[in-house]
Formats: sequence, structure tokens, C-alpha cells
Amino acid sequence: MSRYEVNKIMAYVDGDPEPLEQFSADPAGFVDAWERRATETHVPSLDAGPLTDEERKAIIDLDYGALYAMGAHPYLLIHFARAVECDARGANFATWKEEYRAQVTPHGYPPFFT
Amino acid sequence: MAELVGVFGVPHNPLLWETLRPPYPDDLERAAENFDRFSGLIQDSGAETLVIVGSDHFRRFFFDNSPAIIVGKAERYPTGYPNEIRTFGIEPNEVAGDVAISEAILGTTNLPGNFDLGMSNEWLLDHAYSIPLRYLTPRHDLAVVPIHTNCNMPPVPTARRFVELGEYLRTAIEAAPVDRKVAIVTTGHLATDLGGPKQFLGGASPDAEFDAQAVEWMRTGSIADAIDGCGFERLVNAGNVTLQFMNLLTGLAAAGGRPATFAEGTASRYAAMAFFHWDTPRSGR
Repeated sequence: MSRYEVNKIMAYVDGDPEPLEQFSADPAGFVDAWERRATETHVPSLDAGPLTDEERKAIIDLDYGALYAMGAHPYLLIHFARAVECDARGANFATWKEEYRAQVTPHGYPPFFT
Repeated sequence: MAELVGVFGVPHNPLLWETLRPPYPDDLERAAENFDRFSGLIQDSGAETLVIVGSDHFRRFFFDNSPAIIVGKAERYPTGYPNEIRTFGIEPNEVAGDVAISEAILGTTNLPGNFDLGMSNEWLLDHAYSIPLRYLTPRHDLAVVPIHTNCNMPPVPTARRFVELGEYLRTAIEAAPVDRKVAIVTTGHLATDLGGPKQFLGGASPDAEFDAQAVEWMRTGSIADAIDGCGFERLVNAGNVTLQFMNLLTGLAAAGGRPATFAEGTASRYAAMAFFHWDTPRSGR
């Protein structure tokens, strides 16, 4: 797996209103376009990249525990998750953060270097 | 010659933007008081320029392009990223740069002998810079030289290197061939976890023992102990963004390793916030 590619898509979704809206409305469609763009040019870009099957599933399913366990950067993960769940989908942060905590806690502190 | 008139260590929690405003909630009164105290000290010192040592949060410098230490050299710096505006309500702004002080730190044709610093001629500053500026210089009337250190994307510089950066900044500023009063503002965390099991504990520290030790290093001016106590594993065990504490070591070193005149881990609903201040008698006086 590539922690870099996971970090990249999380930061991109969190970074601007349009990607956040697009991803939150249709995670699978967004990820499909993300991966397709990466095949269309040899030039690296911060708005495209390849994902493994495991990474793709965790991103589309919004499986924060799985992403955390893979070594996604925790700072980017919590901001990506909060953007999607609270900013875009309207969850209450105070209660949602405890759901997030329950998902990541079993995994302790996995390494997050890229 | 420029003069170093003060060194500070402050927090930059972006949640403060919406919560630390009058009327102050009871639990944040002390933080407000500390920021006001430091703002007054900066004003009394006559500082014209703030050199701010912080860590950009993956916005200007990402994993595809991650310098260890990079110094701004621009006439103006805008502040406020779209995600900060959306999630934290941070308002965009703009601050003046101080190119003469940037050049004193970076050199013009060659980099300084002991530091291979990066340079940035255009830089949108994030909350590592905008939060300290909002509370230390509410009128945004001082010039700024931002410095980013990579505390977020391992491999990160060692604690010793942060100390050497502080020593270097003091020397470079005092040698600057301009008439300028300069303060150094460092910003980072005590034990803080984000995205991990120990985040948002409602005011409890993820590692109270680290916090107490860290404040003690500053209160007593114990650089060697601080370096020993700030290995990568120790810092991450205190919370996964505690690596940013190393920016505050730069402050301690910039002040000549002397005991802080003010050192506090300020409690609130958040993880303890670092508030440190050092007077800076001119080197060699």
C-alpha cells in the first residue's frame, strides 16, 4: 500500500469546497475519476493517483479504522473525516468524534511515515 | 544592526478562532490573558518584525514537496486556506513581509554556512501563523518572516537541529545590517493527539507527565535535558502531533537557553497550551 496516495486523496477532498462536495455526494464516482486521471498522463498531480483495492475500499466505505490502521496520516485522516461527516453531511461533531474514536482505538498507534 | 527584543512560544489551535473571543468562556480566560500579556510585551518591546517559527499543516508543503526548514522571502503573505475557512471559520487576511530580515536569515547569493534552508517567494500562510498573529498582533501591523519546519511528515529534523536553528536565528538577526527590532515567535504543541485514540479528551492531557517536564525544561532553561527528552518515539507517544513541540525548543535556544520569564501549560477544554516568554539581553552585552 501507499500511505502517500491515501494521504493525497484525503488532503485533496478536505482542501477545497468542490472536491468535498463531489466526494461526499458520490465517493465511488469520485474515486473512479481520481484513478482514471492518473492513467491519462505521466505527469504526477495532486488531484489524481492510483489506489490499491484495500485503499480504494476503505476510502469509498469511509472506513476510518481501516485507513488509520494502514498508516494514513492521523492529522489528515481526522480532517478528511470531519470534513465529510460534519461539514458536508451535517453530523454533530461532539457526538461523531466519539464514533471516530471507537473506530481507531483498537489499532493503537500505527506508524505513519510515508 | 537589528535587535532581538523577545522570544515567545504560543499555541495555534485553530479551534481557538471561534472559541477564544469575548466574552471569554471560563475555561479559556487564562489563555486569553496569556495572549494579551504577550501581545502587550511585544508592543512594549517595540518589535517591528516577527519571525514566526511554525509548521504548515500539509497545505503549502505536502508529501510531494516537503522541505525540512524553509524561510519566507516575500513582500506580502496572504493567510487562510479554504478548508480552514470552512471548518474553523478562520477569516482570510494578509500581512506584510520583511525581506531584509528574510535575507539576513537566508543570505542572498549563498545560503548560510551551517544551514541549508529552503526559500519561498510566495506563501499562503495557514493557522500555524494566522492564529498567533491574530492574538499577538490584533491589528496585524507588524511585518512577518514565516519559517516552516517539518514536524508533521517523518522523517523530521532532530530536536538538536531545532536547537541549532534557534541559535542560528538569534545570530543571524543580530547580524542583520538593518535598524530593526525583531521578536521571534515559536508555535507548537505540548502533548497533543489528533486523529488518534487520545484526541479531544475534553481538557485532559494525553500525556500530563510530558507536559510537566516540557514546561520545566523551559522554566529552568534545560536545553540538554530537552534534547534528550524529545526523541521521535517519546514525542509521538505523547500524542501524534506532539512533534511540533520541537518548534518551542527553537525558542528556548534563540533565547540563549536561559530560563523562561514565563512558562505555563495552560489548561482549558483543549490539550494544554504552551505559553512561554523569554527576555533577550543582547548577545555579548
